[in-house]
Amino acid sequence: MTPIVELRGLTKRFGAFTALDGISLAVAAGEFLTVLGASGSGKTTTLRLIAGFDLATEGRILIEGADVAALPPFKRPVNTVFQQYALFPHMSVRDNVGYGLRMQRVPHREIGPRVTEALEMVQLGPFAERAPRQLSGGQQQRVALARAIVNRPRVLLLDEPLGALDLKLRRAMQLELKDLQSKLGITFIYVTHDQEEALTMSDRVALMRGGRIEQLGAPRDLYDRPRSRYVADFIGETNLLPAVANDRDPGMVTVAGPAGPIPVRVEVRADGVRAGIPLWLSVRPESLSVVAAAAPAASGDGAGNSLPATVREIVYAGSVVKLHLALADGTTIVALRSPSDPPFASGSSVQLRWPASQGVLVAD
Amino acid sequence: MDRVRTNRRVKTLVASAIPVTWVVVLLLVPYALLLIQSFWRLRNGTLTHELTTENYRRLFGTSLYPATILYSAGVALRVTVFSLLLAFPVAYVLAFKVRKHKTLLYMAVIIPLWVSYVVRAYAWKIILGQQGILNGLLMSMGIIRTPLTVLLYSTAAVVLALTHIYTPFTLMPIYAVLDAIPPALKEASQDLYANRWRTFIHVILPLSLPGVVAGCTFAFVLSMGDFLAPQLLGGNDSALMVSNLVWSLFGVAYNWPLGAAVSVVMLALTLVLLWVAGRVEARGSYGGEARASVTDYAAPV
Repeated sequence: MTPIVELRGLTKRFGAFTALDGISLAVAAGEFLTVLGASGSGKTTTLRLIAGFDLATEGRILIEGADVAALPPFKRPVNTVFQQYALFPHMSVRDNVGYGLRMQRVPHREIGPRVTEALEMVQLGPFAERAPRQLSGGQQQRVALARAIVNRPRVLLLDEPLGALDLKLRRAMQLELKDLQSKLGITFIYVTHDQEEALTMSDRVALMRGGRIEQLGAPRDLYDRPRSRYVADFIGETNLLPAVANDRDPGMVTVAGPAGPIPVRVEVRADGVRAGIPLWLSVRPESLSVVAAAAPAASGDGAGNSLPATVREIVYAGSVVKLHLALADGTTIVALRSPSDPPFASGSSVQLRWPASQGVLVAD
Repeated sequence: MDRVRTNRRVKTLVASAIPVTWVVVLLLVPYALLLIQSFWRLRNGTLTHELTTENYRRLFGTSLYPATILYSAGVALRVTVFSLLLAFPVAYVLAFKVRKHKTLLYMAVIIPLWVSYVVRAYAWKIILGQQGILNGLLMSMGIIRTPLTVLLYSTAAVVLALTHIYTPFTLMPIYAVLDAIPPALKEASQDLYANRWRTFIHVILPLSLPGVVAGCTFAFVLSMGDFLAPQLLGGNDSALMVSNLVWSLFGVAYNWPLGAAVSVVMLALTLVLLWVAGRVEARGSYGGEARASVTDYAAPV
């Protein structure tokens, strides 16, 4: 099956600055792909190149097999939902939504019902005659969405569409968007800097770094099998323990302990991990269990690791308790516990335990 | 508690006294005097304080005054159209196409405003005169043999000079609105299948209307009331405008009441024009949603 959008060696330079450094990516029809990254990573540039607002310096953009890299935006079969919505302030909601249809010279009798249908889809039917400035941020966001989907594009580009909304509304809209996407079957290419949003909504996530794709995969892959320290750190919360590879046993590394290095077993190793370069062991806070220092060695879990640590701070966060701990070399570690677990006092010595399958060895 | 309130009221009074006095003394009183004077009677060249509507009857009864007003409006209209045609493209390029040195270029357009108006009007006399630069150029190129006399002292010369003088006034508000249009709106329009031309017609132009109206109002009102350009470049009597007429009524003919009456009519016309422009501008900036704005207050979201 041919991908609906395919990028091949896409490069964009602004003067001496390379915003996008030869990325290649294939998006399947009906997929929800999130382009995730920090600001300046090239995620918005990618979107603008697909939409046609900027022209690529090098590389090809194929939409349904046709190279569109040289086409102006108004000739590309994609629509965009803008970050600040970009609604036309001099038009009513209805006229905003109908704009694309009018510009495509869709017959008049067809425009009315389609606009109404799109507005009802985003639950804005009663607001059709209002001006955009009379709507709340969330409502304006829906108008922007309706204005795009009314054209029934094969691909919808969304540039941080929820960035301007408050957290609660954002969460609600995330689910709505995902719902709408599967109902309409439109391919979504969704740009965000919010990793939680990316994990919640996407079929696949492309994590960008410095104009390249650092890792592409299902949210679960990125979370459980990060390819690099950067990915492990960017996606979710993690603990990164400086580790030294063992020359003889690739399944073992050593981590700093109070009386010299302590051997630790790892089962997951990212590409590019080798002896002689700085390595980190990434362990998610929820994978760590904290037991009293005197507790007997874990039974039944042969592959279990254990590391001494000191409790520094205890943060109550409602459903969980966050323990901030320090390793012998001063590395700060975060572990999650249940509020019903027996509490530790600040300053007490404890053992951190985790199964070998839960640690990922990554390079920078 | 009451003392606090009284204190505050006194402070408010004192603070507002200065601007209120300023407006009353410098604006309202002179206008009131002008209005009263336009109803006074001139008897054998002497001003009397008898009230009469004779000045207005004479103003509208003789063809000279309405004709001059119409002629002035015609000149002002031409100046407005030419200023707009010159200013809009420049403002558009400045707002959307220029990236570097934007402020510098804007200043270059605005700088003529800092040169004395008299100098600029006089410059056209030097350019268009019989011994002027233009005639010299045309003769040296062998296009004409004897200097043209039609260049100077004509309505065209007045329109040309006024267009030159008032184009920056037209440009400024147009540039201001164009520059304030978010680039994303242009992109959104193109994303929604409108090419550059249709984007201009459906998005840029409607959004620039408030600035266009303001700029045109400047050009029209200022050139309609202009006095110096017709004096310097209009030459003969037929190219004189309303302000020249008012000037001669006050200065030469010493008919202050009639001069006042013409001034009042001009003031009234200008106010009507400003009011209409204000209405159009307001409609433009709120997207003509008079109906929606009512519901806005009735059912806030």
